[in-house]
Amino acid sequence: MSRGAKGGGGPPLAWACLLLTLGAMLAIWSEGDPSSLLFLVGAIPLLALSAWNRASPAPGGPRLLARTSVPVVVVALGAALAAVGLTGGLWLVLIGSEIALFGVVWLAREVALERRGAGR
Amino acid sequence: MAGGAQIAAPAPPAPSAMGWLAATDHKRTAAKVAVAATFFFLLSGVLALVMRAELAQPGLQFVSDHTYDELFTMHGSGMIYLFLTPVALALGLYLVPLQVGAAQVAAPRLALFGFWIYLCGGLSMYSGFLTDNGAGSDTWGATLPLASSGNTPGVGMDLWVIGVGLAVLGSLLIAVTILLTIIRLRAPGMTMLRMPVFCWTMLATTFMVVASFPVMVVAMALLLAERHIGGIFDGATGSVAYQQLFWFFGHPVVYVMFFPFVGAVGEVVSTFSRKRFFGYRALVVSLLLFTALSMAVWGHHLFILGAVPNQYYSLTSQLLAVPAGIEYLDLIATMIGGAIVFRTPMLFAVGFILQFLIGGLTGIIVASPPLDYHVNGSYFIVAHFHYTLLAGSLFGLLAGFHYWFPKMTGAMLRERLGKLSFWVLVLGANLTFFPMFFLGFEGMPRRVADYAPRFGNLNLLSSIGAGFIALGILMVLANVFVSLRRREPAGDDPWGAQTLEWSTSSPPPHNNFGAALPAITSYAPLLDRREAEEPEREPRGAEASA
Repeated sequence: MSRGAKGGGGPPLAWACLLLTLGAMLAIWSEGDPSSLLFLVGAIPLLALSAWNRASPAPGGPRLLARTSVPVVVVALGAALAAVGLTGGLWLVLIGSEIALFGVVWLAREVALERRGAGR
Repeated sequence: MAGGAQIAAPAPPAPSAMGWLAATDHKRTAAKVAVAATFFFLLSGVLALVMRAELAQPGLQFVSDHTYDELFTMHGSGMIYLFLTPVALALGLYLVPLQVGAAQVAAPRLALFGFWIYLCGGLSMYSGFLTDNGAGSDTWGATLPLASSGNTPGVGMDLWVIGVGLAVLGSLLIAVTILLTIIRLRAPGMTMLRMPVFCWTMLATTFMVVASFPVMVVAMALLLAERHIGGIFDGATGSVAYQQLFWFFGHPVVYVMFFPFVGAVGEVVSTFSRKRFFGYRALVVSLLLFTALSMAVWGHHLFILGAVPNQYYSLTSQLLAVPAGIEYLDLIATMIGGAIVFRTPMLFAVGFILQFLIGGLTGIIVASPPLDYHVNGSYFIVAHFHYTLLAGSLFGLLAGFHYWFPKMTGAMLRERLGKLSFWVLVLGANLTFFPMFFLGFEGMPRRVADYAPRFGNLNLLSSIGAGFIALGILMVLANVFVSLRRREPAGDDPWGAQTLEWSTSSPPPHNNFGAALPAITSYAPLLDRREAEEPEREPRGAEASA
C-alpha cells in the first residue's frame, strides 16, 4: 500500500512560529499585556498538527466513508436546540441534549456497522 | 490514484430529500452551504435596500431609529457570519479535494455537522425578528456595554449571540476539514509546492480560522453569560477586554472573506491569460506572511480608545502593504504578455483587482492613528470595507463562480448576460460606495437613520447605486436559472484550464476522479500535459515549475 501525502507539516509549523514571534513582539511592546496570549490559540493546535503529521504520516490507501449520515444531522440539530435553550429555558436545553445524545449513540452504531461491513 | 482513495461504501442511495440533506460527499456539503449562504445573502441584501431607501433623503421616512439599528446589525452580521465567510469556505470545501487529487475531504461528517450548526446559527440570528424587542441591534460586533442585558434587553439579542456562536463554530469545523485535507490527503506526487494557488490561499485561510474563530465562540459564550449572570465584562476594562476578544476574530475574518477569492482570481487570471501564474513561490511566502500579520493588526480598531499600543498595531497594519504588493505584482505580471481572453470570469477578476485596490489603499489611511482619529466611526469606514468586501470579495467570488460553474454543474453560464451583469455591478458598486468616502470625510457618522440635509445629494446617489447592485445580483441569478434550464454542455475543461479538477468529468463523480490522475509535475499539471503534447509551442511565462 502506498504511503499518503508527505511533508504537509511545514507550513503550519512556519505559520505558528510567525504567530509566536508576533505575540512575543506584542508582549514586549505592551509590557506584558495579556492580550498577547491570544496568539497561543492558533499556535498551539497548529504546532500539534505539524508534530502529529510528522510522527504519523497519512496512511494512504482505502478509506471508509459513508454516503449519507443522518445521525450527524440529528446531533447537530440537538446541539443547536440545546444552545438556543440557554435563552429559551431549561426544558429546551434538556430536549436538545437528549436529541444530541440519541444522535451520538446512533452515530457510534453507524460507524461501527460501517467498519464491520468493510472488514468482511 | 487519488489521495486517500477507494471508498468502501454502499451503493448510491435513491435520491431523496434526506439523502441530499445528510449526504457526506464534500461537493454536496459545499453546495448546501452555498445555497444556505445565498439565502442569507438575499435576506441581508434586502435589509440593505431598506436601509438605502431610508437614507435616500434626510429625515425618517420608513423605519424608526431602533428598527434601523436592527437593519444594519442584521445586514452586517448576515453578510459576514452567514454569507461571505461560509461561502468562501464552501468554495474551498468543494474545490480543495479536487485540486489536490483527493477522493474525499478529510472528515466529511465533521463538515456536514459544521453545515448544520452554521445553518441553525443563521436561523437563530434571524429568528430574533419574531421576538418582542426585535433582532440583534448592537452592530455586527455587539459592542459592550451596549450589548448588556440592561441596554439591550430581550430574547432577540440572546438569539443573535447564540446564533453567531453557532455560525462561527460551524465555519470553524468546515475549515478544519479543509486544512486536514490539504495536510493529509494530497495525491501521490502532489507536494506542497505543487498545489494550485487556490489551495494555498485556502490553507492560509484555514490557519486564520483555526487561530481566531475559537476566540469568537468563547467571546459569544462569555457575552451570553454576561447578559444572564453578569460580572464577566465589568466596567471600562471589561468592555475593552471584550473588544480585544471580538477584534482578534473581527479583523482576521475580513481576510478569511478575502483570501479564497484571491486564489480564485489567481486561477482565473492565469487561465485566461494563457500563462503560468507568475511568482508562485513568492505568492506562497507572501500569503503566509500576510495571514500571520493579519492576526496582529486587530488593535487598529481600538486606536481611538487609547487602550492598546498604537505603534505596534500601526506598524503591523502598515506592513501588510508589503505582502499585498507582492500579490498584486504576481496577478498583474501574470497578465503581462499573456494572450488575455476577456470572458466573464476574467472580467470579474479584473474588477476585483482594480476595486479591491481602492479598499486596500484606503486601509492604509485607517492603519495610521492620526488619520484614523478623523475618519473613525464615519461613512469613510463604511466605504472602505465595502470596497474590500463587496467591490473586492464579491467580485472575486463571482469570478470564481463563473469560472467553476461549468465544472460544478456541467453547464455553461450565458456569456452575454454574465458580461452585462458585470457592468451593472461595477456601476452599482462604485455609485453606492464611492460617495461614502466624501460623506465620511465631511463628517457624516455611520449607523444613523437620519442626517444633516447637506449630505442629501451624495446619499441619494448611494441609494440609486444600491438599486443597480440589486439589479446586477438579479441578473446573476437569472443567468444561473436560464443556464440550468436550457443547458449548454460544458465538457470536462471548457476554458483550457491548468489544475487537476479540470481533468475529471463535469460535474465530478462521487469519488471525484473516475480514471487515473494525470502526472503531477507542477502546480499546473494540465498545462504541463498540453505543453508535453505540443512541444513545438513555446510555453508562456518562463518561470520554472516547482
